Amino acid sequence: MNDIDHKKILADRFASRLAASLGRRTVLKGIGAGMIAAGSVSQGFLSQPARAADGGHIRIAALKHIDTLDPHFTGFLASIQVINNIHNGLLKITYKDGAVKFEPDLAESWDLEDDKTHVFKLRDGVKFHDGTVCDAEAVKFSLLRVKEGEPKSPHAWKLALLETIEILDPLTIKLTFSKPYAFLPVALNGSTGRAGTVVSPAAVQKHGKDYGRNPVGTGPFKFVSWRENDSIELEKNPDYFEDGLPLLDKVSFIMMKEPSSAVAALMAGQIDGMTDCPMQLVSQVDAFPGAKLYGEIEGNYTYVGMNTRRAPFDDINLRLAVAWGLDRETLLKQAYFGRAIQSYTPISPPMSDFYDPNIATSGRGQWFDPDKAQAFRAKATNQNEIEVTYMMAERGPVGTRIAQTVAPMLAKIGIKAKLELVEPATWVQRRNGGDFDLFDFEWVADLDPDETLYPEFKSGGPWNFPGWSNADFDKYCEEAQVVLDPAKRRELYYKAEDILMAEAPIAMMAHMPIYKVFSTKVQGFQYIPADLINLHTVSLA
Amino acid sequence: MFLLACRKVFQTIFVLLIVSVASFSLLKLAPGDPVEIMLGNEYSAEAHASLVAELGLDRPLAEQYLTWLGHFVTGDWGTSFIARADIFTYAVVEALPVTLTLAASALGLAIVVGVPLGVLSAVRKDTVWDAGAAVFALTGTAFPSFFLGILLIWIFGAKLGLFPVMGFVPPWEDFWGGVYHMILPAFTLSTYFMAMIVRLTRATLVEVLEQPYIAAARARGEPGWRVIWIHGLRNVAMPLVTILGLQLGALLQGAVLTETVFSLPGTGQMITSAVLGREYGVVQAGVMMTATLFVVVNLIVDLAYPFLDPRLKPT
Repeated sequence: MNDIDHKKILADRFASRLAASLGRRTVLKGIGAGMIAAGSVSQGFLSQPARAADGGHIRIAALKHIDTLDPHFTGFLASIQVINNIHNGLLKITYKDGAVKFEPDLAESWDLEDDKTHVFKLRDGVKFHDGTVCDAEAVKFSLLRVKEGEPKSPHAWKLALLETIEILDPLTIKLTFSKPYAFLPVALNGSTGRAGTVVSPAAVQKHGKDYGRNPVGTGPFKFVSWRENDSIELEKNPDYFEDGLPLLDKVSFIMMKEPSSAVAALMAGQIDGMTDCPMQLVSQVDAFPGAKLYGEIEGNYTYVGMNTRRAPFDDINLRLAVAWGLDRETLLKQAYFGRAIQSYTPISPPMSDFYDPNIATSGRGQWFDPDKAQAFRAKATNQNEIEVTYMMAERGPVGTRIAQTVAPMLAKIGIKAKLELVEPATWVQRRNGGDFDLFDFEWVADLDPDETLYPEFKSGGPWNFPGWSNADFDKYCEEAQVVLDPAKRRELYYKAEDILMAEAPIAMMAHMPIYKVFSTKVQGFQYIPADLINLHTVSLA
Repeated sequence: MFLLACRKVFQTIFVLLIVSVASFSLLKLAPGDPVEIMLGNEYSAEAHASLVAELGLDRPLAEQYLTWLGHFVTGDWGTSFIARADIFTYAVVEALPVTLTLAASALGLAIVVGVPLGVLSAVRKDTVWDAGAAVFALTGTAFPSFFLGILLIWIFGAKLGLFPVMGFVPPWEDFWGGVYHMILPAFTLSTYFMAMIVRLTRATLVEVLEQPYIAAARARGEPGWRVIWIHGLRNVAMPLVTILGLQLGALLQGAVLTETVFSLPGTGQMITSAVLGREYGVVQAGVMMTATLFVVVNLIVDLAYPFLDPRLKPT
């Protein structure tokens, strides 16, 4: 036996002080209060044309763009919210007692032979929705489809360290990695894509590139139809492997682009939930007794990015002046509607083995200190008023509010920011091409410091929009990737973060709550702080 | 007559060809890399290159255009690369009927309400009725459809719970359900045109009612309703049809906003989401489809003149 239980370390990494550090941010209200009178009227009135009369049909407004239901090719969390109800993975994310954990899903057990070899024993008798068997072959097929399939999966990098896949028996599969891979559970489950999600090989062969429109998984719900800009329909999978689940008969994700229309539909009882609630509507939904808001601070951080490749922000003193010169309290209030918390460094609260609940007093990170900002500004090469371009777009959780709030703060340290409003597609291109002085951005749904730090700021990395590079930062992050002991990893990530904060290619702003809304009729929704809408335990009262 | 029609049809095809070149080039000139947008934030350089090749975006522009045109005229509109759906089915079978239903309902509503109001206001010129209709017309033109739409949703959907606020029910499958779902969106889209029709009808009719032949008709002892609705209103048909043909563009534009607010899966939503995603094939198909609609309707208007006004019949 190994003296270190690697699996326990990997799986329990997130077990934790989350509850204590966060408190209960879930907003509970109006329980037992029925729909408002008008709402109940409309329901009776509407029942004929608008909803099929069966009790187990939930209708959820999907506000964000869904690109494909192929777990290996999507780049959007909005798609994952649907995909997760159709597919299962080797592992799944759970959230119990304030701790995010990774538990076996299609696997019955998960063992580490040594720190590079993972053995998964699969559940017996699991079938895909097309009737084919989900066995080790299917798992191998899915992993290889991500790792080396054609066309290339955007998530292939997550399995780059995977060396061999061995099928020990029809229900046992052994994965060997070239290095110890602390990031594995997140790679299989995390962020905007599901490298470890298992798809039906028969369906992939049958539909080819159209799999994303004809997904076949093992999940609690079967895919029925997808009408463009209209709705995605799912129905109960009666053969689902978890006994007695799912509870609902039908699920409709209704595409609604206009959030205020969705809120109105919710109040009128015409829908039962929303996948997302934009911050400007949170207070309104909060005040409505017929709905319940689910949301906690999730694994994200937002920043103002500075282009370190060119003047004026190639000057570290000017960057530091910005980093210390942003009034975070005002930002939280004006740009984030008072709903977010201040971020001192990128590591966010749900990464409970790494997040320091006392970070505000720890002296680490960045915060608002006008004197320090002026001191750094005085050291900057250019002592005249500096004109810069702040590129903004109507995108992200709060649109252009950040830029508008930040600009006057920059004026106080002698930086005149010209706000340039561009269309979102242009914004993406210019961000990726480094054609800006300032911009703001958010990295969301991260569950591990590796994905929250390294790809974003490694030298020459494609997501390193500020174009910053530091060899020591890279070294610490790389070291941390092959260390499994959380305490040691934390130490390395703190060192990396400290370098990042001290060189300030970015000015930290906030960790945001991500909201979901359900009508009070909806029961049993299990909130997971990774922007998921898992419906297998949900029922309608 | 036949020759004239042929010439008009030929002109129409020429116009559409120009539209196709213009929209194709504009889309390519627009900044933003479709592949970057499609892949989201997390992807590798290989994934990017692989998708560029798959989409044929690495080939010369002229080649891309001619390939597209060749396929387009033969009815092969390609596959939407985000949706992986057949564009022809998506655009023509799914989206277009929604927009046509919305536009037709709005236009129908505008005519049914607008013409009588216009008549009322012309006949009762300079009375309270006239002033009321003028106020109505001004308000109608002044309210942008997205604002009116949200207002109606809040009042009739959320507060009173009288109408559904989203979704499309095909009236050919469930007529009353379709009508019920279409009431708010159709009203939202119609106000602008309703107002326009009221003013146009009033202006034309006021002028017509002063003509000698109206006086003559009255003198012959024809009943008042006949004078107005038969002799008078016939003259409104011509300008009305002309204006409606020309305003079809505004109608389709308003439909985009109305569809977004009421979550209707029509052409407007199709084109906007495709533009934001730089999904060239779908945008191109959408633009061609609406351009065709516009041009064809105006062609029909042109060809209809001789029937509306016998004086225009070629001799």
